[in-house]
Amino acid sequence: MNAIDATDRHIKSTDGPPPSLLAIILDTNPHAWAHLSSILPLSKAVASLLVFINAHLASGNANEVAVIASHSQRTHWLYPTPTLPTPHSTSTSNGHDANGTVPENANKYRPFAVIETAILSNLTTLLNSTTASSLSATSTTQISGALSTALSYISKSHIRHSPVDPTINDHSTITTPDTDGILGQQRVSLTSRILILSVSGDLANQYIPVMNAIFAAQRQRIPIDILKLAGDTVLLQQACDATGGIYMAPESPQGLLQYLMMGFLPDATARRALVLPSAGSVDFRAACFCHRKVVDIGYVCSVCLSIFCIPSLPDSKCLTCDSHLSLSTTLTVTPALIPRKKKKRKRGPGESATPAGSSTPAPGSGTPTHS
Amino acid sequence: MADSDGEYVQDASDDEYLGGINSYGTRTQGKGKVRARENARPQQAWESAIRTGLDTFKEAADGTIQQSVQEREEERKRKRLRKDARPFQRGIIRHVVLVLDLSEAMLEKDMRPNRYITIIKYTQEYVREFFEQNPISQMSVMAMHDGLCLRVSELSGNPTDHIGAIQGLRFPKNPRDVPKEPKGSPSLQNALELARATLYHTPSHGTREVIIILGALLSLDPGDIHATIKSCVRDRLHVNVIGMGGRLRICQEIVGRTNAGDESGYVVATDQESLRDLLLATTTPPVIRSTAAETFSGEMETTATPAESAASLLMMGFPSRIIDNVPTLCACHGNLTRGGYTCPRCSVKICSLPATCPGCHLTVILSTHLARSYHHLFPLRLWKAVSWHKAKKKGSRECVGCLSLFPDPPAEETEASNGIIADDASDSEVDDKAEEEVGQQKASESSRYQCRSCKSHFCIDCDLFCHEVLHNCPGCLSQANSSAAVVQDVNTDVAMIG
Repeated sequence: MNAIDATDRHIKSTDGPPPSLLAIILDTNPHAWAHLSSILPLSKAVASLLVFINAHLASGNANEVAVIASHSQRTHWLYPTPTLPTPHSTSTSNGHDANGTVPENANKYRPFAVIETAILSNLTTLLNSTTASSLSATSTTQISGALSTALSYISKSHIRHSPVDPTINDHSTITTPDTDGILGQQRVSLTSRILILSVSGDLANQYIPVMNAIFAAQRQRIPIDILKLAGDTVLLQQACDATGGIYMAPESPQGLLQYLMMGFLPDATARRALVLPSAGSVDFRAACFCHRKVVDIGYVCSVCLSIFCIPSLPDSKCLTCDSHLSLSTTLTVTPALIPRKKKKRKRGPGESATPAGSSTPAPGSGTPTHS
Repeated sequence: MADSDGEYVQDASDDEYLGGINSYGTRTQGKGKVRARENARPQQAWESAIRTGLDTFKEAADGTIQQSVQEREEERKRKRLRKDARPFQRGIIRHVVLVLDLSEAMLEKDMRPNRYITIIKYTQEYVREFFEQNPISQMSVMAMHDGLCLRVSELSGNPTDHIGAIQGLRFPKNPRDVPKEPKGSPSLQNALELARATLYHTPSHGTREVIIILGALLSLDPGDIHATIKSCVRDRLHVNVIGMGGRLRICQEIVGRTNAGDESGYVVATDQESLRDLLLATTTPPVIRSTAAETFSGEMETTATPAESAASLLMMGFPSRIIDNVPTLCACHGNLTRGGYTCPRCSVKICSLPATCPGCHLTVILSTHLARSYHHLFPLRLWKAVSWHKAKKKGSRECVGCLSLFPDPPAEETEASNGIIADDASDSEVDDKAEEEVGQQKASESSRYQCRSCKSHFCIDCDLFCHEVLHNCPGCLSQANSSAAVVQDVNTDVAMIG
């Protein structure tokens, strides 16, 4: 065909690496950042993070980013900016136009500036809306909500980018003007990953939702990377291990930018060729539900799968689901010894010094052994 | 609650446990009830008028059917959501025998390339999904071939064993073996007997299930299959049958009698896609029924029949992972591996989990395997469709999960306003409940779906993703302290089917 009409009609093939979506979850737990403030204040961390985001965007034309703050009380979108519900309004303004107030700066690449202003303004609103009373209520962070939100955002992006796009006709409004132009070549599968910048420990109260999120990520083949600046949670370590992400707990958080750039910038395509920082040993041991003891051998309720460290529960009822547990006798009853009858006969005839039960000759006459 | 006719069910199961009354006796005795039920029988597909797909589309005001098509698409998507909204006690520890049909009926070409190759493909997928959903369960695969029932793989918890064995049917590992081609007739009796023997020694806290994929419309049995059914009931087997082509009376009877009168376990696949869906639907752990025997638990201890599922404490080992400098042999397969797990009781090295320790028969698992089953126990409640009126009241413009924009509400407020007020009054919480119970899943006119506890609005794709994959509600978890409350709420709700 090309030869006949002499036009150079090459089909645009996707030669570069596939576009990658990076979802960043920034743990903004005020308690934890207050502890860290002498080493690494939040403002510095955010500045480093912005540089990292720019690096990610710069490393691929079609790369995308999504940033979610996991605050002490709620999760909050930092980028893209969500449109707040406005009751009884029929205005049709696009949500992404809200970031239209980007300061004109000739020295800055515009996409960088858009994201930067959006993140900073959203973070400011979040911090301003935090009251002292809400802080005293809890000291943890809503990491499970942030993970769930990030995963559903990624899953929607996958649908949008899949070669056969079912939604593109229905929701033509969702494609923002700037992505419209490159949509044709974007129709290759998206690789995505999640980076959690975590500062708080103890997520035990969110065990089930976080676990659900981990399994969802595992199924979607989305690696979860963790950069642990403070605190320590086994849960996040397991998340990395299960999804094949990178776990890093740097000793000196001041070098945050370097850790980010060296450890977390390569996407899934590049990681295949790199030697990745290893998580080391992951603690897989389970803690029992009754005493929070770490157990090697535990007893599991067959109805609700709670773990207990002792087989004898009060009233033989499961502490979690209250179902009656019929303990199998092999667990609770110590095996009975069958008394030997022969020994008495043996003792009768003569040698009274030989201790009972030993068929071998006694080593010494007066050696006291068990009887 | 598929079986509302509780009394009838009770009768049937009592008969089986006593074993004294023969089948003729039950038939005459239950005649009145049977007739009463016949009146309420739903219309069969062939009795209803012919429906073409076309007349269900509605034309919108501007003459396009875009809206209608989109709604149908969403409806189809939502239909796939299973209706396990209420948390039931489920049999998490399952023992399943999967019986494949390798009779000559499987050479039919109504599925491409033929039924046999299709089923080999789907069962491999099924095994993977099954162990994903039920990590601490056991499975065995069998095949009905030329009147006999062959054991394809032994009862084990390792998916690769089964997948290898299923592949080995067509492409045997030993080159001297001939590949199995579908031949002869199937025998349901032989299959049930072999399954019964396989599941005989499994512990009472687990379920005993048989899933039969039957392509043929006959069963060539050497003896009385009714006697076999009776002994299956006595051994507490639950049989599910996935048929192809048509319904069989005998399958209906097998499924009904072994599931305490509930015949919903017998389904017939109409095409390839529905076969896959029906097969994958059985990966969800079954609901546990409280039996008649369990209600008088006092005398229970002395009677011979054990309770349906005697809950018990299981001893399990939680090993630590080791990485050796030099490769060592694992005790389970005899392979040289560097990484592995050591059994906490006998310190034997095991290469993959979950497993039964080859040294001391302790069940060795990771705590993450247990966590994988939690979403069956604490399922996410179904979300409800949002009307235009409510959408307007809330003013939501984008999905809470993925930030994609919703379509804007229509402008014509004046003509609909009368209807809306009436609609609003009836649209109470009671209505809600009923809808959830029935499991009615309709597409939303406003393309919004609302979580019942946090009142956030989501799009159809997030609805599917959250219910099928994530099992979390991003809205609930993103709000202060609601996450703990939700879990608590669900926890107290765990019910048993009576």
